[in-house]
Order: sequence, then C-alpha cells, then structure tokens
Amino acid sequence: MHPILSFRGRFLGYLLLWVTFGALLAGIIAVTGEASLHWAELFAIPLAVLMGLQCLPCWYLVRGMAPDEVPAWRLVGTWTGTSFVLLSVWLGAATLWIRVLKAFDQIPLVDPGTLMPLLVFAGCVGVLLAMLGLSSSAASERSRDAERRALELRAYAREAEMSFLRRQLDPHFLFNSLNSVAALIGSDAIAARRMCLLMADFFRKSLKFSAQQTIALSDELTLIETFLAIEEVRFGDRLRRSVEVTAEAMPMRVPALLLQPLVENAVHHGIAHLIDGGEIKVRAKVRGHLLDIVVENTCDADRPASRSTGLGLANVRGRLESMYGIRASMDVENTPGVFRVLLALPASPTEAPSARPDR
Amino acid sequence: MRVLIVDDEALARSYLVEQLAGVADVEIAGQAANGFDAVKMAEELPCDLMLLDVQMPKLSGFEVMELLGARAPAVIFVTAHDEFAVQAFQIHAVDYLLKPIEPARLLQALQRARERLHDPLPDRATLSGQVALAARPPGQWLERVVIREGTRVHVLGTHTVDFIEAEDDYLVIAAGGKRYRKQQTLAQLETQLDPARFVRIHRSFMLNVERIARIEPYAKDSWQVFLSDGSHLPMSRSGYQRLRTVLD
Repeated sequence: MHPILSFRGRFLGYLLLWVTFGALLAGIIAVTGEASLHWAELFAIPLAVLMGLQCLPCWYLVRGMAPDEVPAWRLVGTWTGTSFVLLSVWLGAATLWIRVLKAFDQIPLVDPGTLMPLLVFAGCVGVLLAMLGLSSSAASERSRDAERRALELRAYAREAEMSFLRRQLDPHFLFNSLNSVAALIGSDAIAARRMCLLMADFFRKSLKFSAQQTIALSDELTLIETFLAIEEVRFGDRLRRSVEVTAEAMPMRVPALLLQPLVENAVHHGIAHLIDGGEIKVRAKVRGHLLDIVVENTCDADRPASRSTGLGLANVRGRLESMYGIRASMDVENTPGVFRVLLALPASPTEAPSARPDR
Repeated sequence: MRVLIVDDEALARSYLVEQLAGVADVEIAGQAANGFDAVKMAEELPCDLMLLDVQMPKLSGFEVMELLGARAPAVIFVTAHDEFAVQAFQIHAVDYLLKPIEPARLLQALQRARERLHDPLPDRATLSGQVALAARPPGQWLERVVIREGTRVHVLGTHTVDFIEAEDDYLVIAAGGKRYRKQQTLAQLETQLDPARFVRIHRSFMLNVERIARIEPYAKDSWQVFLSDGSHLPMSRSGYQRLRTVLD
C-alpha cells in the first residue's frame, strides 16, 4: 500500500509541502532579481508540484530495498541513477515551461541559462528530501510489519499451547467408565443406560467448551457435576462432593476446562487412594475484582505427592499465566490429609481481554 | 479353581463375579476391596488364582504380590492402565487384562491359569526378589516400602525412613523411632531407592542423608554419623566418599 497515494489527506498534505518548496524557490528567484515575484511563483510552484509527483513512484523502489538486506553499492547505485533520471526529466520540463511562459508573453525578462544553476541545486535538494522521506516511511512500515508478525507468531504459539493443554483428558477415565458400563449391563440395565448418557453428556460438553477460550463458571460447573456423577458410579459412597458457588460468581468467565483437570486430579490422586473415600469441595466467590476458586479434596496423608499431579497443576498454572499474566494467581496447599488448590483470576462476566497478548 | 477377586471398585468386582459365574470349574474364594484384605485373604483362604487390580488405595497390586512373596497364588492383573504390563510379566503374571474386560479374553486368561496350575513355575522363592524390584512404578524411585509383621502390614513412605541395616538375610528398617524387619537384601533395596537421598555409608548400613546431624572421625579411615535423633551409625572410608559425592 502506498503511504501517500492511498490516503487523500496525506496526498494533499504532500502536495502542500511541494507548493511550499515551490514558493521558497520562487522567493529565491525573486530575490536574486532574475524576475518579479509574480512570475517566479507562476514558474516555480507548478514545477515543484511536478517534482513531487515524479518522486511518488520511487516508493516502490525504496520499499523493495531494505538497507540491511541489499548490498550498499547497489543501494547507492540505484539511488544515484534514479535521482539523475528524475533530475534530468525535471530540468527538461523546467526549460520547456520557461518557453511556454515566454510564448504567452508572461515574461518580462529571463534567460534560462542564468536560472539553470539555481534549478539544478533546487532539484537536487528536492529529490534528496523526497528520497529520504520515502525511505524513512518504508523503514517504519518494515518495522511495523516485523512487529505484527512477531505478535502473530506469539498468538499462534499460545493457541497451540492452549489446545495442547486442553487436551489432557485422562484416557483411563474412559476405560474405567466403560468397565463400569459393562458391569452395570448385567446387573442394572437402567443404571447402565444412565451412565452411557452421562458419558455422552460429558464428552459433548468437553468438546464444545474446549473450542472456546473462556466459558461461564456455571458452565464449567455443569461439566464438573457430570464428571463427578460418572465417577460416583465407579466409586460409590467413597466419593462425596460439595459445591458452594455464590450466585454472583456463576456468570463470571473462566478459561474453558480449567477446573475440570483439578477435579479429575482430586479424584485420581486423592479419593482413589483412600480406602474409605473422601470429599471433594469446590467453592467460588467474587472478592472485589477477583474471582476466588478453591478446589479441595481429602487425601492420603502417608502418600507423597505424585509427579503427574504436579504436571496437571503446572498445566493449569501455565494456562492462567498465558491468559492473564500476573493478574491471576494459583496457590497449592498440601497439608496432611487435605490437598487444596486456590485460584484467583480477574472477575469478568464478559469474554476476558485474554485473547490479546499482554504487553 | 478357587479365585480371589481384588479390586477397590465394587462394580468392577461384581462384573468379574458375573463373568466367572458361567465358568464351570471356577469357584469364587472371596473378594477383597483393598490390598490389606487381599494379602490377608490370599493367605487364609484356600485359593489358586488372584484377579488383581493394580491401582488401589494404600497398597498397589504389585505391593500385594511383594508382601505375599512365595505364598502368592497365580495372578492375573486387571487394570485400565497398559503401562504396567512389562512389570507384570517380569513377576510371571499369568496374564494381564485391560479394562473394560472382554469376556472372551477373560476366558483365555483363565485357560492359561489352568495350564500354569498344572505345571507350576519351578522355584517361586527366587522370584520374590524380582517381585520386590517390580513393585517400583516404572522410571521412578521407590516412594514407599511395604513390610509385614505377622498378620500386620506396614506401608512406610521412604521419606519417613531414617536408616536401613542389613542383618543376616533380612533388613531392619528404622523409621520414626520404630524398627521393621523385611526379607530383602540391602543390595536389592539400594537399586530401588533414590541415590540422592539414601547413601550406603557402610557394608551393612544405608542412611537417609536428611537425618544427618553431624559426622565425627572415629578411628583411622572410619567415622561415626550422628542422626538427628541422637543415634549413631558407623561409616566406612568408601561410605564417606559416597556421602561426599551426594552432599557436594
């Protein structure tokens, strides 16, 4: 896109600059006494505008030659050559213009020969200024381009990371659930059917939500409820749960499938290792500008924290960081018998300004 | 064939019961919902085969096998995880079934069990060391040690262990002021424990380096290590060098 031709305002401003240049030239001609100011203006201003128009196409030449990509000799050669051509054409036009004005008898006295040195000097200055202006605008366009590309790259990298992080559903959850279905078919066909429907519901919701950056907390909670209902079929009385979320917190946006892995961890690394089972608590409330979420579970005090829990938690932390930067936080409390994850993220009932990389 | 079913999920157990009901020569000896019950029942009930889940609370299926040692019946592992299969066959499991269990596959595994019962493995006793080795989760250092005392089973987190002493053909494991005996050699256990935490300071002692209070020279080329609870252990020259490489 041409930086001047593409915008009417800029084009007019550009022409105005050249009119000023012409007026200046006219002033010099008048002062040197070669002609009256009126004549000088009539002569110099159209010529200056012509110079401006002549220089416009040079943009394409300048843009194609980034100073750090093209060897210096080619740069200097091209610039000198172009300037020479521009200058020759322009001087030719100037000579012609004097003749035309003479023919219309507008000139009391003037000799093209005496004006020539001044014209050559003015032409050189004009071409030089135009070239410098165009190059600096090309340079700024290049740097803007580079910046935009870097931003896009970062956004893509984040996007890829996001989809990877979202894809952490545990396949063993599927296999164990299917084993429960197989078991129920023989003993309780209605419960088996209910289990199939719960699983379908869970996977459908997961797919739908994972396509979104953020979802309402209430949506995330329905997913968790479905997940826990499935696990309840497997674990029976061993799995107890409570969800306490204030009405104010419900519509707040949270990164999609952020809490689900935490609850999954709570089941597989907490409840599953307790002979008599335990309780999973999910709590959420709005505190000022923040949405506080706590996922807590009973766990085996004798059991050292497993590595895969650490991985799941690192994923959650990574997602929070890439979406909110320092505006969100995550704390893990591992007291004997209780494992607790505390999240704080910006409370916002609309799509968070999260897609925008923080700068 | 008397079968013991071990799984912490009631539904998974009832599924196996249902599938086994149709097999003529199979009799269900019992059902255990956790590893402790499994160890107890496997010893007290007459049973030939154990269908054993791997991931259970407190004791894993492999730890159950380790505790049973040579007294373990033939075993078929039943799990949703495929990553333990190598370990399972290392300890000569009859078969390894994946959940959800395919009925035909279960029958096939039972057939293999019948063959195994007819033609048992030559020497079960030599296997027990391998069983202990296999109890470690793949690619990880041992996180807990299982010990039995008569009918009782202790599960010790390795972080609670102070030191381990070799005595004749068994080990004495000191943890939290108590001492436990375990049938294993120090050399075997040494390969399973995190070398950054447990150092062999002497031919018959391994020490949890976090328990060291101070070290004093004792004689030429020997030292005494004082633990935070006041007790002390002898340290040899090579033990001293091993400790230095870990602590530096």
